[in-house]
Amino acid sequence: MKKKLFAILSCLVILTLVLAGCGGEKAKDTAKEPAAQGKLVDGPFKKVEGLPAIQAPEGFDWKQFAGVELNVISENTPPSSAIAANIKEFEEATGIKVNIQQMDLGTLVQKVGLDFGAGSSKYHVIYADPYQVLAKYSSKFVDLNELEKDPTLPKIPGGLEDFIQSQLEIDGYMGSKDKLYALPYDCPTMVLAYRTDVMAKIKENFLKEKGFDPTPNPNMTWEQYYQVAEYINKHAAELGVKYGTGHQAKQYDSLMCDFSNILNAYGADYFENRDLGGIGAANPGKTALTTPEAIQAFEFYNKLLKIAHPGSKSWDWNGLAEAFAAGEVAMAPEWHEFASMFENPEKSKVAGKVAWTTLPKGPKRSANIFGGTGIGINANASEKEKKAAWLFLVWATSPQTQLMILESPVGGATPSRNSVYNVASVKKAMEDPTSEEAKKMPNLTSMKATLEAWKAENAYGRPKVPQWPQIDTIVFTELSKMLAGQQDPKTTAESISKQVDALTGN
Amino acid sequence: MAGTKVSSRKLITTVLIYTALGIAMVWALLPIIWMVLSSLKTEANMFSMPPKFTFKPTFSTYAFMFTEGNFGGFLKNSMIAAFSSTAIALILGTLGGYALARGNYRRGKDIAFWIISTRMTPVAAAIVPLYIIFAKFHLIGTTFGLVFAYTTFNLPFALWMMMTFFAELPPDMEHAAMVDGATKFQAFYRIALPQVTPGLVATGILCLMFAWNDFAFASVFTSHENQTIPVAASLLVSQTGIAWGQAMATGTVIITPMLITGLAVRKYLVRGLSMGAVK
Amino acid sequence: MPQPQPKGAPSAGGRLARFFTTENMMLAPAMLVLASVSIFPFLYLIYASLMDFSLAIDNPTFAGFRNWLRLVKDPLIFQSWKVTIVYAVTGLGLELILGVGIALLLYAAPWGRNLFVTLWMLPIFVAPVVAGLLGWFLLNSSYGLYAWVLQQFGVHTDIFGTVATALPAVILIDVWEWTPLITLIVLSGLQSLPTEPLEAAEVDGATYWQKLRYIILPLSFRIIVVALLIRSMDIMRFIDTIFITTAGGPADSTKIIGLRLFDVAFRFMDIGFAAAIGLSMLVVTIFLGKAFIRVMYGRE
Repeated sequence: MKKKLFAILSCLVILTLVLAGCGGEKAKDTAKEPAAQGKLVDGPFKKVEGLPAIQAPEGFDWKQFAGVELNVISENTPPSSAIAANIKEFEEATGIKVNIQQMDLGTLVQKVGLDFGAGSSKYHVIYADPYQVLAKYSSKFVDLNELEKDPTLPKIPGGLEDFIQSQLEIDGYMGSKDKLYALPYDCPTMVLAYRTDVMAKIKENFLKEKGFDPTPNPNMTWEQYYQVAEYINKHAAELGVKYGTGHQAKQYDSLMCDFSNILNAYGADYFENRDLGGIGAANPGKTALTTPEAIQAFEFYNKLLKIAHPGSKSWDWNGLAEAFAAGEVAMAPEWHEFASMFENPEKSKVAGKVAWTTLPKGPKRSANIFGGTGIGINANASEKEKKAAWLFLVWATSPQTQLMILESPVGGATPSRNSVYNVASVKKAMEDPTSEEAKKMPNLTSMKATLEAWKAENAYGRPKVPQWPQIDTIVFTELSKMLAGQQDPKTTAESISKQVDALTGN
Repeated sequence: MAGTKVSSRKLITTVLIYTALGIAMVWALLPIIWMVLSSLKTEANMFSMPPKFTFKPTFSTYAFMFTEGNFGGFLKNSMIAAFSSTAIALILGTLGGYALARGNYRRGKDIAFWIISTRMTPVAAAIVPLYIIFAKFHLIGTTFGLVFAYTTFNLPFALWMMMTFFAELPPDMEHAAMVDGATKFQAFYRIALPQVTPGLVATGILCLMFAWNDFAFASVFTSHENQTIPVAASLLVSQTGIAWGQAMATGTVIITPMLITGLAVRKYLVRGLSMGAVK
Repeated sequence: MPQPQPKGAPSAGGRLARFFTTENMMLAPAMLVLASVSIFPFLYLIYASLMDFSLAIDNPTFAGFRNWLRLVKDPLIFQSWKVTIVYAVTGLGLELILGVGIALLLYAAPWGRNLFVTLWMLPIFVAPVVAGLLGWFLLNSSYGLYAWVLQQFGVHTDIFGTVATALPAVILIDVWEWTPLITLIVLSGLQSLPTEPLEAAEVDGATYWQKLRYIILPLSFRIIVVALLIRSMDIMRFIDTIFITTAGGPADSTKIIGLRLFDVAFRFMDIGFAAAIGLSMLVVTIFLGKAFIRVMYGRE
């Protein structure tokens, strides 16, 4: 009986191994046509005054990949909705069929991981979250430099220089700048949203009492922010809000983001190595969370959340945005792309009463965490698919498409291209929030603050290391315990350090 | 005297029973009623505090979902996946269940337990190996793959339930039929099967429910084209907010076909389950 | 434990004929499908639990029993089991008490039974994902109906943001959705009870409680265990509602083992460790199932 069982089992194991061994067909590289060197010609796409056009070498046949099917996997973010709504332009110009699959980031990470694990290429174009996808699987992505250098293929319009450089570093590279894995695609950044009407009401009395203007501005400190929030709490009834400040402090990624702003504003960071926020590294080295500045940041965050809306502890960014839109809180550090929701009278009671600025300063500076992502190409794809995917990347990240995304009613995400911010209508919308242009592109109401937040002195990138998903979880779990009153700030910092160092082997 | 005492006591008992049932119904149905009401509200009405109980209903959310939202397609996908996996589970489960119940297998109980234990693997653990198989056979993103995945939890359930139903059926009638010249299969098909129809229906409903409600498998094994409703529901939570109107409408859409099916076979359901396990 | 029955050694031809019996032919397709969907995954999980996927997901290295050791040593796993026990025991307990209670009420109700059953079973058709969304929608402190009701009674706690209330809330969502399943199964058992003993007890002047204690409950004992078995299989496997409402927080207070497994498998892509956790959960469920079945047949 046992022998029989053993025989059956071994048969199965062998069968499995055989199955694992075969498969994985090699796609044939089809007809490479001779391309003329040097001269570039505009492609068959809509052109916009003042933006660099999408160009290809002379004689380039835009339809040569007709019939190829591209699977694009993306988080359900505004740009992907806008691209999906306008994909016809690309499909008609190239004959390539594009299937855009949108899902929440967790499911995306799961699907991409499974796909890489199985060695297949179900998805050709991948939304490469810098921390959860790129840092872990950079070797699974095509080096885009080679496609950009290929004389037979279209070029990135405006070149890499037109991307916002700090974003290109975070979204595109991993460990070194030798290889480029992704092109910047979206760029949510945390800045401060506040209610202008509430500030106007308290301004006079507050100034008298505390001696400074309560209206959030680039020079406000976190301590001052605390005082304003506390003041609003006290006068909540007459102001028509419930609490001064709200946060995204659910035991989730959002809690780490919210805390990171304060950690870095206080002059601290997660690791001794401070250069992990840009191109990242395979091993982060030792943690630096028990320095005096870091402990101060933990203490302040704990103090701040005690006077925040109690719902904060169950909100991620969506929950916080809903509460802000419902008029429950007067101030909230929030992703700048929620501006369009706040200005939408159907979803928001506070439309027209919201202004944005960079986050308050700590003893060191104002730190505004960046949460953008690039798109890259699966290295397991066939040569033909890779080239077709390159065409898609060029188009989707081009200034024209980025402008289209900005204007799209289903999207409304902000561009990752310098040149778009120089277009006249965009400039006008940023300058004058009451203009027609601003109404058409409501996201731009937060854009002035966001452009400030992108400057090197204000920008913050979390450490980009392959172990980030685990580190993130340790950080937000321990912080959640601190906020629940189960441990003090110092213990929290020590506990995170201990667990993270054990994880990374430092 | 005694008679009025008894009847008044009976009256009190009846009142108590219906009061308790009334509370239970409020507990069970209020969320669903609120969900349906909310799906008929505008966004502004939906978030008003205190909550609004009277309002002018609008069907715009449904109109949007079924035109631009492609919910008709998702509904179809859900139905195809749920009904075909249920059909497979029922056919194979009925055949196998009968065999197990009548076959005199030496370790029948152990086999039965092994069958039901295959349904106990945690979903997250089962997904990884299934993904590897599916990737090999190019089943990712296909409806067939999803049906196959659903079979992993529905077949053991159906087998086990049907085995229990057949086991409690006295075999005398089948024996008599076989004495009259019927084959074993004919005895199963003509005599035993009609008697367990209620059990079959009940098992089918529960299989349908398990497949219909599934999110974990569907989110991994479907692509945009053959997405099911629970996956579509999860997509309403996006980076820039939750589309609550659509979420509530989705909830309403998701229970409607099951409510209709449930109503249609309600009598079988209550009767059918009574045959299982109680010997 | 069933004893193998001794059988005479059959001849080769007889053995073949014995193999192609009607029963075997009927059983074969189901067994083949089941084997194909369960044996490879099971073997794969054992293999994966001995490998380390953390460096290269498509090229794991041998790890020996490291993943299994982590299972014992990791305090987070231990913590999750603790939460799971509270979650499962409270949830199953409430579902059992309420489910059986409602079934008895329906059984005793002189009229309207079918109507009540139909309405009562509606929650089981609300997919858990939607149930999670609905729970969040009802308990949200900014616009939730239930939160508003609580606020009228002076309760302003944020339900999902507070350690003391988050776990009870997710348990209650589970109870809301699955109690009707227990009711349904138990009620069907009650309806098929033989009527003679009850009538005899009636003649003897037994009170309702006596009938319940000595006739109804003992006779429907087995169906109650079946209902519990079905529910206990799923309560650890499914994480959809918790995932949507609290994602395991605050302070890990709702992080049941299934959720931890999901994190390890699909957020960390630590497939080896995930396989070890998954197998350990399987073992626990199997033991639980065995215990239920033993209880069930122990009364034969």
